[in-house]
Amino acid sequence: MPQASEIAWLIPVFPLIGAVLSGLGLISINEKINNSRRIVSVGLISFVGISAVISYKALIEQINGYESVEKLFIWANAGDFTIPMGFILDPLGSVMLALVTTITLLVMIYSHGYMAHDKGYVRFFTYLALFSSSMMGLIISPNLLEIYVFWELVGMCSYLLVGFWYDRDGAAHAAQKAFVVNRVGDFGLLLGILGLFWATNSFDFNEIATGISQSVSDNSIPIWAALLLCFLVFLGPMAKSAQFPLHVWLPDAMEGPTPISALIHAATMVAAGIFLVARLQPLYSIFPSIQFIIAFVGTITCFLGASIALTQMDLKKGLAYSTVSQLGYMMLAMGCGAPVAGIFHLVTHACFKAMLFLGSGSVIHAMEEVVGHQPILAQDMRLMGGLRKKMPYTSATFLIGCIAISGIPPLAGFWSKDEILGNAFISFPAFWFIGLLTAGMTAFYMFRLYFLTFEGDFRGENKDLQKELLIASKVNLEEENGEEHPEHGYIHESPWSMTFPLVFLAVPSVIIGLMGLPWDSKFSYLLDPEEAEIAVKSFELNEFLPLAIASVFIASAGIFIAYQAYFAKKINLSILFAEKFPTINQFLSNKWYLDAINEKLFVKGSRKLAKEVLEVDSKVVDGIVNLTGLVTLGSGEGLKYFETGRAQFYALIVFGGVILLVAIFGFQSPQVT
Amino acid sequence: MSTYFLTHFTSQTLGTLGAGLSTLPWLSASILFPIGSAFVIPFFPDKGDGKEVRWFALSIALITFLITVGSYINGFDIKNENVQLKENISWLPDLGLTWSVGADGVSMPLILLTSFITALAVLAAWPVKFKPKLFFFLILVMDGGQIAVFAVQDMLLFFLTWELELIPVYLLLAIWGGKNRQYAATKFIIYTAGSSIFILLAALAMGFYGTEIPNFEFSHLANQDFSQRFQIICYVGLLIAFGVKLPIVPLHTWLPDAHGEATAPVHMLLAGILLKMGGYALLRFNAQLLPVAHAQFAPLLIVLGVVNIIYAALTSFAQRNLKRKIAYSSISHMGFVLIGIGSFSSLGTSGAMLQMVSHGLIGASLFFLVGATYDRTKTLKLDEMSGVGQKMRIMFALWTACSLASLALPGMSGFVSELMVFTGFVTDEVYTLPFRIVMASLAAVGVILTPIYLLSMLREIFFGKENPKLTEERKLIDAEPREVYIIACLLLPIIGIGLYPRLVTESYLASINNLVDRDLLAVKNSVKTNIFSGTKKNEILKAPSI
Repeated sequence: MPQASEIAWLIPVFPLIGAVLSGLGLISINEKINNSRRIVSVGLISFVGISAVISYKALIEQINGYESVEKLFIWANAGDFTIPMGFILDPLGSVMLALVTTITLLVMIYSHGYMAHDKGYVRFFTYLALFSSSMMGLIISPNLLEIYVFWELVGMCSYLLVGFWYDRDGAAHAAQKAFVVNRVGDFGLLLGILGLFWATNSFDFNEIATGISQSVSDNSIPIWAALLLCFLVFLGPMAKSAQFPLHVWLPDAMEGPTPISALIHAATMVAAGIFLVARLQPLYSIFPSIQFIIAFVGTITCFLGASIALTQMDLKKGLAYSTVSQLGYMMLAMGCGAPVAGIFHLVTHACFKAMLFLGSGSVIHAMEEVVGHQPILAQDMRLMGGLRKKMPYTSATFLIGCIAISGIPPLAGFWSKDEILGNAFISFPAFWFIGLLTAGMTAFYMFRLYFLTFEGDFRGENKDLQKELLIASKVNLEEENGEEHPEHGYIHESPWSMTFPLVFLAVPSVIIGLMGLPWDSKFSYLLDPEEAEIAVKSFELNEFLPLAIASVFIASAGIFIAYQAYFAKKINLSILFAEKFPTINQFLSNKWYLDAINEKLFVKGSRKLAKEVLEVDSKVVDGIVNLTGLVTLGSGEGLKYFETGRAQFYALIVFGGVILLVAIFGFQSPQVT
Repeated sequence: MSTYFLTHFTSQTLGTLGAGLSTLPWLSASILFPIGSAFVIPFFPDKGDGKEVRWFALSIALITFLITVGSYINGFDIKNENVQLKENISWLPDLGLTWSVGADGVSMPLILLTSFITALAVLAAWPVKFKPKLFFFLILVMDGGQIAVFAVQDMLLFFLTWELELIPVYLLLAIWGGKNRQYAATKFIIYTAGSSIFILLAALAMGFYGTEIPNFEFSHLANQDFSQRFQIICYVGLLIAFGVKLPIVPLHTWLPDAHGEATAPVHMLLAGILLKMGGYALLRFNAQLLPVAHAQFAPLLIVLGVVNIIYAALTSFAQRNLKRKIAYSSISHMGFVLIGIGSFSSLGTSGAMLQMVSHGLIGASLFFLVGATYDRTKTLKLDEMSGVGQKMRIMFALWTACSLASLALPGMSGFVSELMVFTGFVTDEVYTLPFRIVMASLAAVGVILTPIYLLSMLREIFFGKENPKLTEERKLIDAEPREVYIIACLLLPIIGIGLYPRLVTESYLASINNLVDRDLLAVKNSVKTNIFSGTKKNEILKAPSI
């Protein structure tokens, strides 16, 4: 059998085959295939399973020191240009592949339970397979252009999946917003790629880096141009990884089914931006100012996400802003020139955040039995509470996730987050401080989520509260009442297909951090052996401990406050904080007013501009045409002929005219010379 | 006239049957066969439902497609940059008019596109119940006529076929169109016929240039050494004529009207093929025959291309009528063709070529879907639609696929062609760096605008709650197999090209390289007298800039 690294190109091919087959089935034999869901889901899971097996084999080969594999072919050419495509498998790629295939598989198993009653079950699995294929393709892309190709494809899958329940207006808007905001980033990415190609005649990551540094040093390219290009390329990751100010799409994207939020909008696709920045490290490390911008954007995002998450009442939105914040940490690591730390956090975060999202899905699934399928009710924590006793697996794994993300040792989040903070402390102390503060906020809001959802008494049967929430969210009550059927369900633990992935993910959430111990990081030995060697040699406990203690302390403080406020109910935060600082509270619950600005400035602005252009087009441009038409023909007989449809007459004119002209010109020598 | 050719054709065919396939008069056959067959239609017994006529037209269109494929396989060598499959018969020697057809890399893909789209359009015209005989007659005539436009190698003949083409289009618009069809058809004819007078003038001027005996053959004209001023005069005239067809803003206003009123099959032909005549002619005449003037005007083409992209995308966004929305999106996409033609790089120019083929397929598919949707909803106003996707799921899927193709999703042909244009233009040392930066950035704004209008459109038609008014009044049946089949036929090459663009690009690369080399040479020589920049950098090749 060939080495898995050599046949890595097959990894995205298998799920693609599956997706194409079931997609064709949906188009041609819709009813039949919708009735044979079991075959489809088992088939697609096996296709992804094959990819997972190859990925893991490749990962093991890479750990054992098998060389990176890169193979290219000419995809398009013209003149002297060739555009190569192909695949690359290196340690970074193999880690990502293992991660993506694992989480995809778990999410697929979970979806079998979660989407059991949905009539779009088969379509959902098809989209999932398509997404996993594109994501794997992105990971094995050997150059910027191919990354761009898959980058767009994962964006498309995200669009399809966010808008999965297309009869909901919210989903429709969110899907479009996600795609368009991402396109804003892609605008920069595309221009950046083109510019880098112009400057270096290559799409290859390393060739670009050496080419740019050479051109800058011999002044064939001005430094500002190089910086501009680097920044333009960075716009892509900013949009994809939801960095400020292009993060606005991610919380809205929670309109999609919860397994999607776990897979695409927490664990894999949003991490693609981080992944691309990691791939571009050879380029970015040349320019400290770009590094600074990346770190800066990361820090703002990190703080912004956490601060908004403080006041969220929607369980999924809370997790979404937490994702934004954690992506900010990863970006901060990239800016500090510590890609390994960033990728490490990506991996740990993928495990526990996927688990948290799947857990929230399990909660929502249970809540829907009581309050109905209105997401405003089913996802609101004011209606939850006391779920721990009824949902033991969900609550236990959710708690593990909360501890992990808060950064309590020895769970996964501690090691990866601390490595980032440690790097930030060396490179940008101010950013370290903000990051530390954010760690405290993270612990607070995560435990706030936990306590509100799983502890205390169940509040879901409170009809007045339900009505109040519906009114507050401006849902048309009359319309809803028409469809409403009173729910008499009760809260219960989800089926095994949903709890199994939760339990499975709890394991890495606890132990995977041990792969990246600062004094013996197996993770960085795999990704960057030289760096790891240096890091291990320079490791000193007296440097590590103060920082670690600081972050553990602040996290514990956050948990303590959350405990006092939401479990013990000893302090009332709304009196203590919200009423004293109403502006800050308003500012946070309005999400820094960024959505409003976006709506006013860009959405309405572009509509207005488009309308004005159309006015000009129909009134001025077309108006002139019609005016001249009227003047010359309006009164004449010509129009009459046309309008009566006597085209023979026209044909006659044309032919007659031609003959006449030819005759005239034929007898004269040309004047034009 | 046509009998002459038919007899000639048959005698030649019979005479050369043994002489190998490559010597067959493939192109004449593909032109004259559909036109000749069309004249059989009037003799069909008229039952009114047009069933026989439909099948007859479909088989003729398919055979024509096979003939063009045959010509490509048997008589066309992709490595050869010259005109192939040549047939030359003197027609009216006194006027210098010869029946001269042939194909090089620039025409061959478009000929194939024409016969392919026409065959699908015939299938799309299945539900046409009003005067089916006349309808299919016109479609078949159009088929041959359009192939002729791309195949003729004589400028006077080109003008004739260009004009001949207008008649069926005019009638198809005026008889089967929507409410304002008369206005739209009249506008169309006035625009195109009015502007094509420039083609005639330019043809005569060029044909008579420097000789007593006129010669309109492309090969002759290409070797002529026209003076710069003469080239510029001809160039401007031709730019107007072809700019109307492409169309170039602000000569575009006939298009939304014509497209807004046409029925689906006619629509497919308009968007799929007719617009490509403009792009083809710009390449063939402006870029190939008038290289010196092209060196002067190319920056203008780039600017116009960018204007097309942004202006039409914005108007499309504001449009509330589905057909007009898609019509404007066509204009926007044609902007890339302009940029590619003006780019002086073989990558960019092949991108323009590919964009024509790609838009031919994508535009045809979108317009077909518009027609199919209209058949069900009986309205094109976006405000009157909503939540249609719940009843028409397959239709929704097809729409989504085609819209994604149109917004240049990677893996589909539109992405490749736009990428080639972008890359070709950006890496092209002919233009100054600031010019390239500004133009590429502006053109890339289209990358943001296109999904805005296309996805908003999808959202308004298919997403959200069902519009009770619409669902109660209309029977919203999902797509039938015939419709799925048509879209599948179009999506197959769209995705095929997207995955492996060399399938198509290889077929014209040699010709494009040849053309671009010639233009580049002209740029080198024209540096001193550039009317746009006025700069006098003689050593380096950085001529046109504004």
